[in-house]
Amino acid sequence: MKVEGTYTLPAPRDKVWALLNDPGVLARATPGVKKLEPQGDDMFKATIELGIGPVKGAYDGKVSITDKVPPERMTLRVEGGGKPGTIRATGELRLEESEGKTVVNYTGDAQITGLIASVGHRLIGGVAKQMASEFFKALERELQKR
Amino acid sequence: MGNRVKITINGSVHEAEVEPRLLLVHFLREVVGLTGTHIGCDTTNCGACTVLLDGRAVKSCTMFAVQADGRTVMTVEGLAQNGQLHPIQEGFHQKHGLQCGFCTPGMMITAFALLQRVPNPTEEQIRWGISGNLCRCTGYVNIVAAIKDAADKMRGTPAPAGERS
Amino acid sequence: MIPGSFEYFSPQTLPEAVTLLQRYGEDAKVLAGGHSLIPLMKLRLAAPRYLVDLSRIDGLTYIRESEGFLRVGALTRHGDIETSDVIRSGYPLLADAARVIADPLVRNMGTVGGSLAHADPAGDWGAALLAAGAHVVATGPRGGRTIPLDEFFVGTFTTALQPDEILTEIGIPQSQKNSGGAYLKLERKVGDFAIAAVGVGLLLSSTGACEQVGIGLCNVGPTSLRAGQAEQVLRGKKPDDATIARAAETAATESDPADDLRGPADYKRDMVRVLTARALRLAVGRAKGGA
Repeated sequence: MKVEGTYTLPAPRDKVWALLNDPGVLARATPGVKKLEPQGDDMFKATIELGIGPVKGAYDGKVSITDKVPPERMTLRVEGGGKPGTIRATGELRLEESEGKTVVNYTGDAQITGLIASVGHRLIGGVAKQMASEFFKALERELQKR
Repeated sequence: MGNRVKITINGSVHEAEVEPRLLLVHFLREVVGLTGTHIGCDTTNCGACTVLLDGRAVKSCTMFAVQADGRTVMTVEGLAQNGQLHPIQEGFHQKHGLQCGFCTPGMMITAFALLQRVPNPTEEQIRWGISGNLCRCTGYVNIVAAIKDAADKMRGTPAPAGERS
Repeated sequence: MIPGSFEYFSPQTLPEAVTLLQRYGEDAKVLAGGHSLIPLMKLRLAAPRYLVDLSRIDGLTYIRESEGFLRVGALTRHGDIETSDVIRSGYPLLADAARVIADPLVRNMGTVGGSLAHADPAGDWGAALLAAGAHVVATGPRGGRTIPLDEFFVGTFTTALQPDEILTEIGIPQSQKNSGGAYLKLERKVGDFAIAAVGVGLLLSSTGACEQVGIGLCNVGPTSLRAGQAEQVLRGKKPDDATIARAAETAATESDPADDLRGPADYKRDMVRVLTARALRLAVGRAKGGA
């Protein structure tokens, strides 16, 4: 399952880059993340509680940031599992500056298994898009705080 | 943490203490012992578990017994009266409306509800009416014929399809 | 499959039900027909600790016209709408939608309010009622408030309802002489969710132009969608073939489908175009006095 999209953040690229490298920000901005504990360089242990309407699940996972080319691009990897199923996802973020704003192009690929995959297949694409948009909206709020 | 329920099933009142999460189909089969109602897909698709709830055909795998408290249920066991097969049962028998028989109880209950509402259905109305009940053996042709046969018997006279419907 | 344990309440009045929701908040779920919630509970994807069953509250099942609106009680079953004379004679958009929801057995239990509150992007009522320009009434501790359906769907399975609010009524502008509508659904088989579905509601002026128009899209986005730009293409114009074709193409660009087992996104987007054009033609014919 693939997702892609674009989001424009009202700040220069350096500032957005700094934000994306701040574990506190990542923890607050990523939907469902309750806790993000550093496990070495750009590696985190994540506790996720995600509720989409009545469908609620708790997941334990790992988040890592790789292939960093500051301040242009990075790859986010998420692996996790819980009762409803498992997920392995990679997302590539590319940052472009234009007129003082940053355009983030993202492409993601996810493998999902378990009940969520068999029952929720039709919903995953939409939910992934929705979560990406929540993530960027949260980043925008973080920008305003600074 | 039981809830007390009182449900009228095929004319007799059944009272029991049940957990709220007990599905109606499990109540019928395991508490009351009426195993004519089948569990097929268990995911609200196949209609094998169809029963009448206050006269409407519903999937008993997708409701809790507590929701039926104080209400009236009819299962396939309620079709025959005094040892006499119901015309719908006769129709399925005579027109070969079943092969493996697993879908048959749900199919007959749905047919019963349909014929209460539409006594002289067209083939299209029958097919539309049973579209929530899956049969993997017959290809439906003989099921439709069985229901048509029952409709004619229940009205007393064979009549061209479409009238009074 | 057996759901997790929960405590069951069947209040007799709306205030009692609201009080229970206030007490249990996010741990409680409202049970109407149960045909979305119970399957999720059986899979244990949903495990509410408290269920508040509305079915014993009187006065939530009705279909009537008053003060310029068609009012439908939230507990009205899909099957009641399918067979209602008021709906059949004046609301073809709703009549079309009601008969293609799931299958007849599900329609005997599932309710219109429950379907909206569940906010599944594949729910047929979402798209149909967006096209009809509907609003809902939410009843909570401070009484009722009206929410336009445009503002109701916040995300997949997520609505503007507060945890202590219950959807109690759906309102739709009353049908007029020159109004028409249609709902077309492409499905793999009876009872399935839509590959794509499109609802259209419109009102023609005396000159035959589109005075009001609503277009709703089903299962081609994270929520039920309203094709506002496509509506804009039609507004004030005569719905001739060229205008309909342009509106249909616009609706397709406004849809946001994902690849899944029902087909790739491009295919679904094109089906939105085809269904929008067909539904518009059908609705225009009905507004002009066809069946």
